[in-house]
Amino acid sequence: MANRIVIDPITRIEGHLRIEIEVRDGRVTDAYSSGTMVRGFELILKGRDPRDAWAFTERACGVCTTVHALASVRTVEDALGIQVPANAELIRNLMFCAQYLQDHVVHFYHLHALDWVDIVSALKADPKKTSELAQSLSNWPKSSPGYFSDVQTRIRTFVESGQLGIFANGYWGHSAYKLPAEANLMGVAHYLEALEWQKEIVKVHTIFGGKNPHPNYLVGGVPCSLNINEVNAINAERLAHVGQLFQQAQTFVEQVYLPDLMAIASFYKDWGAIGGGLSNYMTYGDLPTAGYGDPSKFKFPRGVILDRNLNEVLPVDGKDPMQVQEYVAHSWYDYAEGNAVGKHPWDGETKLHYTGPKPPYEQLEVEQKYSWIKTPRWKGHAMEVGPLARVLVAYASGSAEVQELVGGALKQLDVPVAALFSTLGRTAARGLETKLIAGWAHEFYNQLLTNIKTGDTRTANTTMWEPSTWPAEARGVGMTEAPRGALAHWIVIRDRKIDNYQLVVPSTWNASPRDNEGQMSAYESALIGTPVANVEQPVEVLRTIHSFDPCIACAVH
Amino acid sequence: MSERLTIWEQARTLGHSRRDFLQFCAWLAAAAGIEASQVGQVVQALETKPRIPVVWFHFQECTCCSESFIRSSHPIVSDIILDKISLDYTETLQAAAGHAAEAALHETMKKYHGEYLMLVEGSVPTGADGAYCCIAGRTALDTVKEAAEGAKAIVAWGSCASNGCIQAASPNPTGATPVHEIITNKPVIKVPGCPPIGEVMAATIVHLLTFDTIPQLDRVGRPMAFYSRRVHDTCYRRPNYDAGLFVESWDDENARKGFCLYKMGCRGPVTYNACGVTKWNGGVSFPIQSGHGCIGCSEENFWDNGPFYNHLTNLPGFSIETTADKIGVAAGVVTAAGLVGHAVLTSIRKRDVINETKK
Amino acid sequence: MAEATYERVYVWQAPVRMYHWINACCIFVLVATGLVIGRPPALMSAGEASDSHWFGWVRFLHFSAAFLMSFAFLVRVYWMFAGNQYSRWDAFIPRNWTRLKTQWREMVNVLRIDILQLEKEPIDYVGHNGLAAFSYFGIFLATIFQIITGAALYAPMSTFWLPGLFSWVPPLMGGEAIVRMWHHAFTWIFILFTMIHVYLSIFHDMTEGRGEISSIVNGVRFVERK
Ligand code: HEM
Ligand code: HEM
Ligand code: NFV
Ligand code: SF4
Ligand code: SF4
Ligand code: F3S
Ligand SMILES: [Mg+2]
Repeated sequence: MANRIVIDPITRIEGHLRIEIEVRDGRVTDAYSSGTMVRGFELILKGRDPRDAWAFTERACGVCTTVHALASVRTVEDALGIQVPANAELIRNLMFCAQYLQDHVVHFYHLHALDWVDIVSALKADPKKTSELAQSLSNWPKSSPGYFSDVQTRIRTFVESGQLGIFANGYWGHSAYKLPAEANLMGVAHYLEALEWQKEIVKVHTIFGGKNPHPNYLVGGVPCSLNINEVNAINAERLAHVGQLFQQAQTFVEQVYLPDLMAIASFYKDWGAIGGGLSNYMTYGDLPTAGYGDPSKFKFPRGVILDRNLNEVLPVDGKDPMQVQEYVAHSWYDYAEGNAVGKHPWDGETKLHYTGPKPPYEQLEVEQKYSWIKTPRWKGHAMEVGPLARVLVAYASGSAEVQELVGGALKQLDVPVAALFSTLGRTAARGLETKLIAGWAHEFYNQLLTNIKTGDTRTANTTMWEPSTWPAEARGVGMTEAPRGALAHWIVIRDRKIDNYQLVVPSTWNASPRDNEGQMSAYESALIGTPVANVEQPVEVLRTIHSFDPCIACAVH
Repeated sequence: MSERLTIWEQARTLGHSRRDFLQFCAWLAAAAGIEASQVGQVVQALETKPRIPVVWFHFQECTCCSESFIRSSHPIVSDIILDKISLDYTETLQAAAGHAAEAALHETMKKYHGEYLMLVEGSVPTGADGAYCCIAGRTALDTVKEAAEGAKAIVAWGSCASNGCIQAASPNPTGATPVHEIITNKPVIKVPGCPPIGEVMAATIVHLLTFDTIPQLDRVGRPMAFYSRRVHDTCYRRPNYDAGLFVESWDDENARKGFCLYKMGCRGPVTYNACGVTKWNGGVSFPIQSGHGCIGCSEENFWDNGPFYNHLTNLPGFSIETTADKIGVAAGVVTAAGLVGHAVLTSIRKRDVINETKK
Repeated sequence: MAEATYERVYVWQAPVRMYHWINACCIFVLVATGLVIGRPPALMSAGEASDSHWFGWVRFLHFSAAFLMSFAFLVRVYWMFAGNQYSRWDAFIPRNWTRLKTQWREMVNVLRIDILQLEKEPIDYVGHNGLAAFSYFGIFLATIFQIITGAALYAPMSTFWLPGLFSWVPPLMGGEAIVRMWHHAFTWIFILFTMIHVYLSIFHDMTEGRGEISSIVNGVRFVERK
């Protein structure tokens, strides 16, 4: 057996991810991805009121908070045949946009940036040159030499205190860091600015959902009411606040996030050929403009791309028992019919059964079961989901807006389309879609104002609210695009209670262990071939893994 | 230890003026609910103390408490983590991974034994010998015990660490356990909520930092400063409650007027939290203000106190849609029928006795 | 059936009778207001909060009756030690093994004669019969439970120290939501008790003719002279 290198915990992600790799001649030759924490949501949901399910599932994750709530209400609405009013759809879209804006920016600066930005090197930067660099990239006002000098002093004091806090034991000075000192200093400054900014955009959730993280949702619509003549409802002041938050978000994305992304990417173009992994991409699509029932009018289209073939987008059907299936061949669960079968989520089972090594352990038994994450497949294919999948499916579906944006970015970086299928492509796609979303939010916002102007203020459909109006048995599926990719929940309702509830989550797709046929999922596959200069400081592995923005609490639930 | 800078020294090297610093102290005092006359004490504390080493654990959780923490708007979180504390371990934000991260943790636990603050997000599973949550190959159960050993104070963030939260909801498949049930020889400060309000989390740290004492806690271990009032007692819709003006159905006329959400299942009357006062995300709103009832997220076992849209919790052993009233009415009907039947029977069978007694 | 002679026996002393009626009135009010608190009817949908306080009044009535009932109950408990043999505590709780067996036999008899009507002739008890004693004991316990849970719910909305004595209850029971649920559920015990109790009073009065109903007003019952 080659020398196994274990990285556990993978930090700067959500949740408990363990990566075991084998490295030969400076490259990863084998990789195993394991989720090491489980809570058993699917067991806990059994027997409960379907109308409460959103609150439970939302707690799968506080980082992508809201997306499970959205998937859940859609699932129940699908089962009961409820159509939500147009305003509810718009408000859900606005909350969706706010979620992406916050989550993607935090991912870029606080979870991913330290893979590319060397904090310690920032101490060597010339604040004046940093200022010139910043001003050459964008109009963002915080770019004076004095400003960068203050930031540098702050970092210096911090470093010199000897208490390095969250930066302790980082891989500073590693040969893989390529940015000039000035770019590093700018990155650090924006790290701090982004930390402050992210708490603003989430106020959209607070206004419509009462709090963030974990705003409130409602089966049949949204819980807030629209009434421009009432201080207790969403009125002109609240709406103006929302409008302003999106305005600020767009400025931040266009003047800080994207310029930083492009600037950093230009130093790491070699990563456009690393970390591609799987060649299949899947999206469920989202941001309806004509109701959730009409996916052809989604801003993010639905579809599957196989073998990187951008000329064909295949349809996805969550209700087809042969399409989405979950396997537990390498996961610590038991299926009644044995562990070789795949199960459609409506027939899904969740029976925890730990068979791994007794902790404390050094290595997982990767030939057997080695993760709490189940392994989902689409028609038997392993799929990558996430920003890259969304951008590719939109690109391949012929969205002019997306094609133009992607084309522009490729040109700016002077790289071919193939560079998208990579660690860099994944990170870039996330930034690009953030820009799209920052723009779309205004469309939804304006549509909401128009509706109110024309007198439509309905936000909830309560015709099927009372359980007495429900059929004895119903089943539904609710799909959405979470920041990390295609998310769906499946429900079976029997006698007004949840009989079965299954979540198949973006990070379940990406972070899962091998399937019954030994096929790798996205993380494992993307790691193969990733260079590792120093096995003691595997920053390259972090780059590829972080490019997926892992969320393991989601993945396992 | 002499190379540890005090907070004031830090502030000075950061170019903050004495005035800024005093203002900051006054803010801290206010945030921690301290009398104006005691601000001097705060100033002195910050002038003389080094940054407290802090280790933040993640166990069975959704990381939403971390997310909430970084939403804090008054002490801005970058100020806290760069200037006020030394956050030496937190899987969510720290640069190092794997062995390097674990090394940072163990270094702090060794070097600052008895001095570091231990913050816990998430519950600890006790099922399957702890295998439901492992980090670096070790169980959360081991880690929490080891780290508690040298901790100066322990804070349980959120409902997960305070009472088990969602994963402890029936049937609690993993044996999820709150911290205070594992660490029984040290006080655990509980800051429940799913998640707790960011500013409340920040202020709890500020209190520990400033006073070196545990804040005054209520009967179940929550800081009185934030958990001494029911949401219902600070709810701005309360006048509607007393007036009997209720929302009857979602988005009805009453909802549009902001009537009380009691009949939509609001748990404000049984929930202790600062939501009505501190509100969320810099004071923008809170659940009730945005039209949804409180689900009681800072209360023990609130997940099992559902369904959320019924005023009352289901009776244990009975499923949804079976409230006490339904059982009561059924029992009442059966009883009434029994009594009527009995009366009829009596008047037939005991007619003679009744007639006799009439004499 | 042979002629029988009856003698007047003073059974229910004044404190017992007063307690009985205060308690009965309070329970009536508590049940009615409690159910309204639990499920307020949609009386108003227009209007301003400042114009009305009806729900507040309902709650006020509940709390007032609650206090009255609690204090009356305390007096009754005192009388369990100071009163006559029919009102003493051991008229409800068997004081020893033989009394327990007697009570058990009485309960079986009452069930056979009154409820199942397997025999015609009533048995004569001076105080309450074994089954009644048992049910009163139960209702006394339920009353204590309601007082404790009610006071626990009342404590946070009051600065009065008395309910504050019960603030240990919610943490013990698992939170106020649970306390409320049980406080509400126990309401039905009172409703069911009252239905059966009032029916049986009338039933006994009619079948036995010993002044069952009037006895709880004037204290006097008729007992067959031996
Ligand atoms: C026979 C005795 C009693 C009955 C049948 C009764 C019944 C009820 C009922 C049905 C509720 C509504 C619960 C809900 O659905 O939320 C209630 C609430 C309440 N009761 Fe009682 N109760 C009794 C005695 C008491 C006593 C002795 C107290 C003591 C102070 C008390 C204090 C309360 C309080 C504080 C509430 C909550 C009211 C609110 O917050 O608005 N109750 N009661
Ligand atoms: C028409 C109405 C009522 C009549 C005629 C009546 C009659 C009586 C009588 C005769 C007794 C003596 C018990 C015995 O024979 O062993 C008694 C006891 C009792 N009754 Fe009633 N009752 C009435 C209504 C109520 C109501 C509404 C309640 C409350 C729910 C109530 C609660 C009690 C209690 C707790 C006792 C035991 C009292 C003690 O020993 O201190 N009664 N009642
Ligand atoms: N994977 C995942 Fe999530 C997302 N995005 C949810 O569906 O992160 Ni917490
Ligand atoms: S308490 Fe709630 S918000 Fe915090 S980690 Fe647990 S589930 Fe998430
Ligand atoms: S909305 Fe909830 S917390 Fe507010 S007054 Fe009504 S019941 Fe109380
Ligand atoms: S649900 Fe939680 S956020 Fe506040 S209003 Fe209720 S305690
Ligand atoms: Mg699942």
